[in-house]
Amino acid sequence: MPTDTRGGAATAPFAAAAGSAPADRVHPRRAAPRRLPNPLAAAVLALFLVFFVLPVLWLVLAATKSDDQLVHGNPLSFGSWHALRANWDALTGYQGDAIFQWLRNSALYSFFALVITLCVAIPAGYALAMTEFRGRRTLLIATLVVMLMPNATLVVPLFLEINAVHLIGSMWSIILPYSFYPFGVYLTYIYFNTAVPRDLLDAARLDGCSEFGTFRRVALPLAAPIVALVGFFSFVANWTNYFLPYVLLPQSDQFPVQVGLGTLLDDVPQFNPTVGTLAVQRPELALATLLAITPVLVVFLFSQRYLVAGMLAGSTKD
Amino acid sequence: MSAATTSRAGAPRTARRAPWPGRAGHGFVAAYVLLLIAFGVVPTVYALYFAFTSVDNRFSGLSNFATAARDFRYLPAVGHVALYLVFWLASLVVFVVALALLLHRLSARGVSKALRFLYYIPGALAGAASVMVWLFLLDPTVSPASFLLRALGYDTFGQVVAPGHLPILFTLIAFWTGAGGWIVVMFGALNNIPHDIIEAARIDGAGAWQTARRIQIPLLRKWIVYMTILAFAGGTQLFVEPQLLAQASVGVAGRDYSLNQLSYDFAFQNNDVNTAAAISVELLVIGLVVAALFVARSGFFDAD
Amino acid sequence: MKAKFSAVGAVARGRGRRAGVLAAGSVLALAAVAACGGNGNSGGGSGAANGFKPAAQTGGTLTVWVDSTRLAAAQLYQKQHPEVKMDIVTYDGDANGSNYLQTKVSLFNRTRGGWPDVVFSSQNNETSWAVPAGFTAPLNKGLIPQSTLAGWATGANDPCTVNGTLYCLRNDLSQTVLWYNQKLMKQWAYQVPTTWEQYQALGQKVATEHPGYLVGDAGDTFAPEIYLWAGKCGANQITGPKAVTVNTTSANCTKMATLLDTLIKNKTISLSSVFSSDFDKNNADKILMLPGPAWYGGALFQGTFKTPAGQVAVAPMPQWSGDTTPSVGNVGGGTWLLSAHSADLKAATAFLTWVTTADDYQGKLAPGYPAFAAAAKTWLAGQASSGYYAGDIAAPLQAAANQVWSGWGYGQFSQEAIWAATVSPGLNAGKSLVSLLPAWQSAIVNYAHSDGYQVSTS
Repeated sequence: MPTDTRGGAATAPFAAAAGSAPADRVHPRRAAPRRLPNPLAAAVLALFLVFFVLPVLWLVLAATKSDDQLVHGNPLSFGSWHALRANWDALTGYQGDAIFQWLRNSALYSFFALVITLCVAIPAGYALAMTEFRGRRTLLIATLVVMLMPNATLVVPLFLEINAVHLIGSMWSIILPYSFYPFGVYLTYIYFNTAVPRDLLDAARLDGCSEFGTFRRVALPLAAPIVALVGFFSFVANWTNYFLPYVLLPQSDQFPVQVGLGTLLDDVPQFNPTVGTLAVQRPELALATLLAITPVLVVFLFSQRYLVAGMLAGSTKD
Repeated sequence: MSAATTSRAGAPRTARRAPWPGRAGHGFVAAYVLLLIAFGVVPTVYALYFAFTSVDNRFSGLSNFATAARDFRYLPAVGHVALYLVFWLASLVVFVVALALLLHRLSARGVSKALRFLYYIPGALAGAASVMVWLFLLDPTVSPASFLLRALGYDTFGQVVAPGHLPILFTLIAFWTGAGGWIVVMFGALNNIPHDIIEAARIDGAGAWQTARRIQIPLLRKWIVYMTILAFAGGTQLFVEPQLLAQASVGVAGRDYSLNQLSYDFAFQNNDVNTAAAISVELLVIGLVVAALFVARSGFFDAD
Repeated sequence: MKAKFSAVGAVARGRGRRAGVLAAGSVLALAAVAACGGNGNSGGGSGAANGFKPAAQTGGTLTVWVDSTRLAAAQLYQKQHPEVKMDIVTYDGDANGSNYLQTKVSLFNRTRGGWPDVVFSSQNNETSWAVPAGFTAPLNKGLIPQSTLAGWATGANDPCTVNGTLYCLRNDLSQTVLWYNQKLMKQWAYQVPTTWEQYQALGQKVATEHPGYLVGDAGDTFAPEIYLWAGKCGANQITGPKAVTVNTTSANCTKMATLLDTLIKNKTISLSSVFSSDFDKNNADKILMLPGPAWYGGALFQGTFKTPAGQVAVAPMPQWSGDTTPSVGNVGGGTWLLSAHSADLKAATAFLTWVTTADDYQGKLAPGYPAFAAAAKTWLAGQASSGYYAGDIAAPLQAAANQVWSGWGYGQFSQEAIWAATVSPGLNAGKSLVSLLPAWQSAIVNYAHSDGYQVSTS
């Protein structure tokens, strides 16, 4: 009997909202479709655009300058192709081709972890949202508890654990902890919980689908937006993770690009006065940063295609 | 979800869930439970164990907590974090929801999509990647925003990173990197509200503000709750931003600023994992209390 | 039975309570699991290595950790000694307080394995934790002959010495000298000051005759090491492994602080970090004098400021008039550590000795002033032959190498971080250094206490 109350109760806020809005305030004038953007809204969006993009634009331009130009030139001026080239050469010459090694490592860790995360988190979130089973609530709570734990102290136990199973030095010491992605489980949980109608699943079940069949044939096709979202966030979280590989990996040629950036940063005299003369220049660091974030942006663009509107509405429209 | 379904059906739903044996659910979560235990539960329990024991593995009651509280950095850090939380939570909840709504109303799909991408870009600049950005951005001599800094009366980097400005600076940094991702989440959630509901409201004469307040925001409730819980916990665990600024300012601003930094110091500078764990446990408890409050108030865990 | 009225307060409250109970229950259950799973790690490194017992000498690969600047050294050694099986790992050299080495060693101590054989650190205070952690091997008890050790500059290995035992070797020195622009000095007919009194007088003269020009800089976290260390201010007297004497308000301290305040006020000492863009843009071509460490020459003047060749010269640090024991400060300089757990102490020691003393690296390649005196000679000759500096830089640098005041030590707490967090903001806000000395003192005392130091303040 939980089933019936469920639909009605959760609809209540909406019903109230939808019902009262027109009753309370009727503005017939407003009914005409407005297609021109509100100037205030446009101004707000533009202001935030500057806030988010200006520093990035500066960083892009910084990579085209010499260290001298960076300090003495206009902050938002273009340096020169020559300087960009020189920075590229200096960066790729750093410790052999360390930068590409780092990028390869990052790609490897993030990709494997992404695959495992999706295989694990999507079914789990789905089950938490759409099925009833013993321990569901405990699982939700345990997930939340674990997520809220600050990781300063988790590193030590994690290291001991990984050491106990003799994985120190293996790439799995990074990939497996990465694959545990409770944030994604919750995203999936809320998504199925709020966006996928249960009737669809019931219909499938009545049609004789097995549990797994229902998930595969009905839920999964509807899950494209959340797969894209979880996949994207998981990829980014792993790609940008610094501390775990920093502590766990014993070899510098295993470092991912974030740790590599830290190494580069510590070779810039402005951040670490003790390095002496064989230093890295700041524009090289800017260029390395751009290289390091490009994959994230590409993945974002790719996954954004799947976050388009109407996907779900179309599938359930009657 | 149910909003979507019922609106379509137009009448109370009668569909009943087929009996749903627990086995299937367990099958779906099995792999996750394994990872959860290995990389979530065991380390957390280990940390709890650390928090209540001494170096020689004997039960020590609350003495680790006392050690932490006696440290001269402890109380200031509590104050710092509390102040930061105010700015951070307010800015995140208000601006993320507002921007997502504004973006969602943009009639030009391409523009909205492009803006979401552009807003997101800083999200890729995590940790070490953005130290340099902030070093330059906050230095009036070389900043692309120097006119703004000078207009506010700051001529040197040292003045910009004065202790009183830090909560605002950390909020700016955290918002700059973190908001874009949440905007995408909220936008996706808004997309899941069927068009006809919004359309119906509009025909009924609801303006943008009313549509947002009466329909969209209530339907986003779970997402907002989730964001708030994580943002609160994330805020209490403030670490990356002060660490970043400390690095950019070579230690002038941001060192020993937050509780989490203090915990790191204990763990990795003083080799005192036990006291570090005690601080972590405190943060965990605060996060849990707030989460429990929100969860209880919002029906977050309900499988409806 | 689970109520689903999400918006109804009463029910929600009830649910909250249940959630709490559940959470508590699961925590308890988990704790029980932990009790079983808690493998009894023996609190790694609790016992300091009093009598050094080498690990079984089984040989194998020599693991070397270096920062990227020292990577060249390890690679050169490998090239010269192809028979040694080396595993070279680069890390950030513990810069910026990352504590990488300390973190890793404490983890290795828990798992009883994984230590590197030889490590470079860009910090001088590693012994403060590495000795209690039992990580470092004693070097002057048979591993390295006394005759070799005698070749280091006076006091260079002080930071490595704990109760008479040597636990690391100094890589480079960063003794302070007075850098100045010879061209400007001549042009304006100024004398290079030899006493702090003359230095201050010259600063006051510059303020009126050539405003905008600098006689020094106090904007960096190592400002106290340049001025107050050289001025024998006892802010950081490490008197034992866990004991420190702190007195920042002594006459020596206030005298130097007053001097700095005077010159900060007339703007001949800048409060911008020498590495800041601000300094580079507005001050770099206006340096008349700049007290600072040996590495200022290459890293700052030549590298960052791009001061033209033939202008930059070196003079000894000024001294207080009447002081018969000249003293200078020191800013950084790294150390090499040998692991007590090394399975091939012979090979590790051979590398350690080579990397700290060999002319091939220290004399010809190293960016910093070598701590090993013979290598320093070669290094200085190389610097002189570059033709960048005006006049002889060797004599003042060599003299200063033996004059570093021994009253300033290396504790576990970072003096630079303390200065940055407590004094720098005050100076930036326009307070005088003299007025900040008590706050500085209490900050040092606080940090020393929380690192477990016995603090005395007289």
